[in-house]
Amino acid sequence: MSNQVVFYPGALDEKDGKLIQMGSKCNSCGKTTFPAAELCMFCSSDGGEKVPLSTIGTVFSFCVTRVPVGPYKPPFISAYIDLPEGTRVFGQIHANMNELKTGMKVKVETGVIWTEKDGTEVLGYYYVPCEPECGGGK
Amino acid sequence: MQDVYVLGIGQTIFGKHGSLTVNDLGAAAALTATKDAGLSPKDLQTAYCGSVYSPPTPVQSILIRLGINRIPMFTIENACASGSSAVHMLHRDIKLGVCDVGIALGVESLSAYNKKFGKGLIGIEGDLDAKLGLTMPAFFSMLCNRLMQERGATIKDICYPSVKNHKAGMTNPYSQYKKEVNVAEIMASPMIADPITVLQCCPQSDGAAAVILCSKEYYKKHNKKGNRVPVKIAGSVISVSGAQDSSYDPLALKSMIDGAKAAYEMAGIGPEDLNLVELHDAFSGEELAAYEMLGLCKPGEGVALARSGAVELGGRCPVNPSGGLLSMGHPLGASGVRVVIDIARQLWGEAGANQVKGAKVGMAQMLGGVLTNIESAVVAGIQILVK
Repeated sequence: MSNQVVFYPGALDEKDGKLIQMGSKCNSCGKTTFPAAELCMFCSSDGGEKVPLSTIGTVFSFCVTRVPVGPYKPPFISAYIDLPEGTRVFGQIHANMNELKTGMKVKVETGVIWTEKDGTEVLGYYYVPCEPECGGGK
Repeated sequence: MQDVYVLGIGQTIFGKHGSLTVNDLGAAAALTATKDAGLSPKDLQTAYCGSVYSPPTPVQSILIRLGINRIPMFTIENACASGSSAVHMLHRDIKLGVCDVGIALGVESLSAYNKKFGKGLIGIEGDLDAKLGLTMPAFFSMLCNRLMQERGATIKDICYPSVKNHKAGMTNPYSQYKKEVNVAEIMASPMIADPITVLQCCPQSDGAAAVILCSKEYYKKHNKKGNRVPVKIAGSVISVSGAQDSSYDPLALKSMIDGAKAAYEMAGIGPEDLNLVELHDAFSGEELAAYEMLGLCKPGEGVALARSGAVELGGRCPVNPSGGLLSMGHPLGASGVRVVIDIARQLWGEAGANQVKGAKVGMAQMLGGVLTNIESAVVAGIQILVK
């Protein structure tokens, strides 16, 4: 069994054997930020509540990178994804490039996003297009 | 409050200077500026230096080579606005009467950075989004997609600043590139992040720039260049972005819009009074998006402004008549100082073939930093110079 680590401390929590993105919802202004921070990033209030992020979002704008970046081999797709709670999350999209469209619906998945030279698997999140019935994909 | 005047300027040629250290580059620019101001290095009362990736304490290790010591010195890192921040802090010191004269430096060796960390796109170390592949070109690729979708920009429009600025760089003695490019050549160059190709990106560069600022009284006593009309820094603003949510549009970056407004107000002018702008065109599409945010045209009309020819040499308000980062090169910490000295050169009438005729008012702008949770780019630096 290989060693596994989460790509960014505090970004993902394990629940019922599944990894989920955890944000922080402010009790004062109602904004949800990701990842959770010391205080609300908008109003500096204390007393935010750790909450799982929505799993389906909308592509605000996307990018196809054609050169290697860190562990990622080109081409790879990345995007700003807008969630129903008003949070904007950056992430990669695993999809056919021709399917990509601003405004399409995507859903989050978690898993190994790269493997270190020593075999350590790095866990993170990425998005995939929703099925057509969710308003995305085609 | 003291008025703040430009007493002297200096810079290295920007480019690949792999055999020179940050200290070599910085000392050359500081020495040139001191001589240009007609001062002894010992006259300087305080020093600021903008730099992003230099070894620690560059300002002291540079200035000791000119015998400058025992004065307050500060190195400032503020992404691509590091140099703007150095100028801003010196301006503030003089304005408030903390000192009468000082130097603002900017320096960077990206050759040294690449030797240490390897070549390639730069992401911010340890940042969540960067770990998922967010780089400068990736951010500006998403901005270009917005320009095409929301502003009707074509690939030709996106390439326009690159074509214009490469042309201007041909006659700038300090520029890294001296080669004209057309849209077909730009789009035939390797794709980095759609639609951004290599020739829509500024190069990674080495270089330094320096400016000596002083109070009005000091200027009256010490300015030895009778042929130069007095040029003052009439407005200087460092403007930082807020937390990001899904309402943010990179085409309407509040820090840039509010920063420009504050600088205009401080200078007592409006955007219609500008005769030229030097701005952060790290990517061709970035310049196209900046026109409306700086108030050079109404919101949504940046593409039309570009197509009208108003922002090229001979137009109503030339943008980047130096050749911009796209042609000058972009030694990160140095560029914020370089844009200020380019505006001073223009107002003095010393810009040679790149001169904007009759220029009286100019803006120097920088923009930098792409991060998780903050409306990117995260910091804007703006100076307005007036003669």
